[in-house]
Amino acid sequence: MDTSLFLVQLLNGVQYGLLLFLIASGLTLVFGVMGILNLAHGSMYMIGAYLAYYFTTLTDSFLLAFIISGTIALVIGIIIERFLIIHLYKRDHLDQVLLTVGLIFIFNATQSYVWGNDPLGVEVPELLSGSIRLTDIVEYPVYRLFISLLCLVVAASMYFTINKTRLGMMIRAGESDRAMVENLGVDISKLFTIVFAIGVFLASLAGIVSAPIVSLVPGMGEHVLISCFVVVVIGGLGSIKGAFVAALIVGIVDTYASVLLPQISSMSIYLLMALILLVKPQGLFKN
Amino acid sequence: MQNILEVHGLQTLYGESHILHGVSFDIKAGETVSIMGRNGMGKSTTLKSILGIAPPRSGSVIYKGEDITRLPTWKRMRQDIAYVPEGRGMFHNLTVKEHLQMAARKNSRGETNWTYDQVLEVFPRLTERLTNKGTQLSGGEQQMLAIGRALLTNPDLLILDEATEGLAPLIRKEIWQVIRQIKDSGVSTIIVDKNIKVLNELCEQHILIVKGKVVFNGDSETLNENKEFIEQSLAV
Repeated sequence: MDTSLFLVQLLNGVQYGLLLFLIASGLTLVFGVMGILNLAHGSMYMIGAYLAYYFTTLTDSFLLAFIISGTIALVIGIIIERFLIIHLYKRDHLDQVLLTVGLIFIFNATQSYVWGNDPLGVEVPELLSGSIRLTDIVEYPVYRLFISLLCLVVAASMYFTINKTRLGMMIRAGESDRAMVENLGVDISKLFTIVFAIGVFLASLAGIVSAPIVSLVPGMGEHVLISCFVVVVIGGLGSIKGAFVAALIVGIVDTYASVLLPQISSMSIYLLMALILLVKPQGLFKN
Repeated sequence: MQNILEVHGLQTLYGESHILHGVSFDIKAGETVSIMGRNGMGKSTTLKSILGIAPPRSGSVIYKGEDITRLPTWKRMRQDIAYVPEGRGMFHNLTVKEHLQMAARKNSRGETNWTYDQVLEVFPRLTERLTNKGTQLSGGEQQMLAIGRALLTNPDLLILDEATEGLAPLIRKEIWQVIRQIKDSGVSTIIVDKNIKVLNELCEQHILIVKGKVVFNGDSETLNENKEFIEQSLAV
């Protein structure tokens, strides 16, 4: 592989990794704070992508679609937590699996009913449709750089919110001892709604910004969910920092493997996970 | 003087086991009250029933003239009640500073009687530990942090479960000193502890709970008159 191809693949790997982080961070946040394993998390990625398709077609503006879809995702998150997840807090993990797998079926059926099963695509917004010249012969699409930048901004805001704000302190405290948080006069149910809605929003955001660079197909949510599980397990359950590092590793390994070792590329990240778990059974950053 | 808290006929169960059998008592505003009793007699459960952590099956909790028996815990706390639980409730992933920052708020009347700086003044030991995680502190420091955190919610009623249990004598002395300071500031306080001598001198009212029932409720003078009975009830 020559240097320019290496560089392009590195950028692709980082971009894919950052996108995985966006999704995995929501998954791990909800699990870490609320103890809820949301298997329908990937469905929110899918719904985000399809909403972006729908509203881009409707309004002819990706920016508008971005705003509307993101808002709808937040509302969906609030509704799911208020009416469904709320019944899970005092139940065991099996009930969580049953409910959230049920949600996957509902979202998939909705997607199929509303948008059909043919692959769909969204055009890259015109403003970001150009390319940047990296070397004499290599160009890189601006939109992919935009995704990376957006993910970094989200990661930085999450870091700031969780580590520096009072809301973040309450979220972390809830992770440690939710009864004590309530003893301090904090409405924990409201806090959980906020956290869950943020999780759903992050997954949908990833779907929305991915829409122009992937094809929208049924089952896209499950595929990404599995990769996210790999990220969350490698990073350490519940650790956002771990998810960030793991997502970048997984993104880069997956991208290079598909170029360098196409024969085993589909299993590369699982091999990676197995290797890491051999050395660190709790993941890279134990929470 | 008005009652800040009236507890009527609390019957509380944990699953099948009946813990409280009709606990009743009143607390006057501004007073410091001790709750005594051997382990497993229902002291902590009484506090938890008042706070809604272990909701009573029947009976009522009247706070500042309002029935709060059915309110969720966090809403009671918002009415200026603060709780320092047995075990102190430290967060393993928050620093000392963050414990104080996350809890701090004005009381329901918008007053700030305790500030971050004041709490550190009262507990100078915490100043050296600001960047440590809550669970990295010694037992005494944890207790100081738990009390400091409770004060930053600017309560009218402070509830301390096992205020000095398991602490070194010097640290105990320091904690009692602070509780005295809190008392002087006019905050009503309920203290569960085993140290009769200190409680006798500190509290206006004493409640003894045996097997989920109040068997003694009186002032320090009456306590002294019934000293033998009280000591018998507390002896293991």
